[in-house]
Amino acid sequence: MRTMSRAGSRHAYDRGPAQEALRLVKVAKTYGTDGSAVTALDGVTLGLGRGTFTAVMGPSGSGKSTLLQCAAGLERPDSGVVRLDGTELTGGSEAELTRFRRGRVGFVFQQYNLLETLTVAQNTVLPLKLAGRRVDRRRAREILTAVGLGDRLGHRPAQLSGGQRQRVAIARALVTEPRVIFADEPTGALDTRSAREVLRLLREAVRVHGRTVVMVTHDPVAASWADSVLFLADGRLAGRLDAPTADAVAERLAHLGDDVTAGV
Amino acid sequence: MRSVRQRPGRFLATLLSAFLGAAVVMTFGSLHDTAARPGVDAVSRETLSTTAGVVGGYGTLLVFFAVASTLTVNVRQRAAELELLRCSGATPAQIGRMVVGEAVAVALAGSAAAIGPSVLGGRALLAVFQDNGQVARSVEHSFGTVALLSGARITLPAAAGAALLAVRRTTRTGRRCSGARRFLAGAALLAGAAATVSTFAFSATDPALMALPAYGAISLSVGLALLASPLLKGVLNGLPLSGASGWLAVRNLRERTGHLAGILMSLVLFTAVATATLTLQAVESDAVRASGAVKSADAKNLETLNVTVVGIIVVFVCVMLVNSLYAATAHRTREFGQQRLAGATPGQVLGTVGTEHLILTVTGVVLGTVAALAGIVPFTVVRTDGVLPHQAAGIWLGVVAVAAAVTLGTSLLTARRVLRVPAVGAVAVAA
Ligand SMILES: Nc1ncnc2c1ncn2[C@@H]1O[C@H](COP(=O)(O)OP(=O)(O)OP(=O)(O)O)[C@@H](O)[C@H]1O
Ligand SMILES: [Mg+2]
Repeated sequence: MRTMSRAGSRHAYDRGPAQEALRLVKVAKTYGTDGSAVTALDGVTLGLGRGTFTAVMGPSGSGKSTLLQCAAGLERPDSGVVRLDGTELTGGSEAELTRFRRGRVGFVFQQYNLLETLTVAQNTVLPLKLAGRRVDRRRAREILTAVGLGDRLGHRPAQLSGGQRQRVAIARALVTEPRVIFADEPTGALDTRSAREVLRLLREAVRVHGRTVVMVTHDPVAASWADSVLFLADGRLAGRLDAPTADAVAERLAHLGDDVTAGV
Repeated sequence: MRSVRQRPGRFLATLLSAFLGAAVVMTFGSLHDTAARPGVDAVSRETLSTTAGVVGGYGTLLVFFAVASTLTVNVRQRAAELELLRCSGATPAQIGRMVVGEAVAVALAGSAAAIGPSVLGGRALLAVFQDNGQVARSVEHSFGTVALLSGARITLPAAAGAALLAVRRTTRTGRRCSGARRFLAGAALLAGAAATVSTFAFSATDPALMALPAYGAISLSVGLALLASPLLKGVLNGLPLSGASGWLAVRNLRERTGHLAGILMSLVLFTAVATATLTLQAVESDAVRASGAVKSADAKNLETLNVTVVGIIVVFVCVMLVNSLYAATAHRTREFGQQRLAGATPGQVLGTVGTEHLILTVTGVVLGTVAALAGIVPFTVVRTDGVLPHQAAGIWLGVVAVAAAVTLGTSLLTARRVLRVPAVGAVAVAA
């Protein structure tokens, strides 16, 4: 098994993608202390194969964002093991974790997290710049055009609508050609047509480029684009649905809602 | 007012600047009160009034701009909060009343807190005069209306003015008030130029000779500081910086010139004031020594006194610089978090901050040096036979070293502290 410190630089130790893109074993995360403690993740165990498209669903506050952040190495779980692309994310300084993530992980944040001082084009190529990789502007423009922002390259985030910012965030996650893409509600602020474009892009990343995509969504139609859906409730896995249809997902969600209400 | 009580930490920088500014102004203001006491002999009165008038003159100008620049940094940081208020139905007038009210309240509190220290400071200053034999032993220190008013007269308009400008900028989105800025800059430059040029009208031995070039250099530095943003943009366009940190630094500076105006202003002021006043004093001391004045002991005492006064002013500007640097960097928690989430290591974030502040330091130092030279050269020409005093280089190097150490030190240490917050938590911090 490879460890973080050894795998710090991708080129030196690259042995090709691992068969299992992501494995979580008994991952737990609690926010706050004592009286105000909130258990966001309560012993989650799961494994996702390479080249799969997985949707994560569940009620608000069920721990979906926390799950994604722990899996991507952005948050450190209190306990449990996270193995990403065959490498265990244990210990290591923030700088080591950051270098590990570059080129392997793309993340679309629920709050976009674009830099206000940079233009659309600059925000998109920022991860490449920071990683010291060659900046392929033509490719960046292609991706931005694909998300429908080809004519907004010089705009700042403040000049864009929520949906447009979300699409910049998606372009930024795609541009480094990562092995695993985590997307937290990537279609949450989009109209049906833009949402379909984004989902098509994500599915293309899986089908054509063999990447692995994990996507949080509240929309059964968006979830139906995935190969399988994982349901989360109160920080625990609450079921799985393969080859989902929108109706089946909606049905399952409704019952999940019942369970959660009953459990409270 | 409620918002002040709920977030005292946010107003700390403003409070500190109002406190320090008021303390400096009121310390010198109390010399006027002391001079006005009945039974003070003519010589003592003369000494006290001259010191209070000369130092009060440029000290007041300095304190005004230092307080205003710190406040501008603080209020500008609340742009997001004000925007939110505006969107939730507050009228521009309501927001204006709130922000200006807060600024005035904080300035009042700072000035009130400064009364005690200024009484002590005034007494200490009087004691130095008495030890020098310039003021009679019998004179007692007095802290009265002149001192009180001098404090409030500076901090309140500076606070209200800075708050008002910042509010106008946020509530009238898009439009800039660069007209007012350019007018102020022009006025400051004109006043500064007039003061430095009129140095030539005085005789070499006039006791007030030093005040004019000092005042001129400070006025010029204020004017240049107000015009620093476009100059900075010009510098940035010509910088061939490669590497992720440099790339990001240039883009950040270009977009944030408005926010950085306060820091740049403090830097320009610090360089100009410290270089000009210390060099002027050195030239004066040398000239007195060269003239072979018999009362060498008195001259030495006088020199000590002047250096003390200049020291107070220089340290004040330096503290203001630290204050605004800290406030500006501590506010960037969220931005740094976003950089880290986009793939920046903490080292790269620090590299970006370091590059930004190096560029700021160089720009500030260059502008400050220009203003300082404008004061130093006329004085040296009138007072001695030379043009550039030999002491200038050493003093300048020392000042630049302090400016660079303070600017880079404060920003990097603050950034390192900010980076201790985990990136995911940092972006969740309310803007
Ligand atoms: N930084 C934090 N500090 C304290 N509590 C937190 C923090 N982040 C999340 N939580 C808590 O952890 C729980 C899970 O949060 P999380 O953001 O993962 O939910 P979510 O499933 O993504 O919800 P949503 O659908 O609303 O985005 C919530 O109860 C939340 O209040
Ligand atoms: Mg979430």
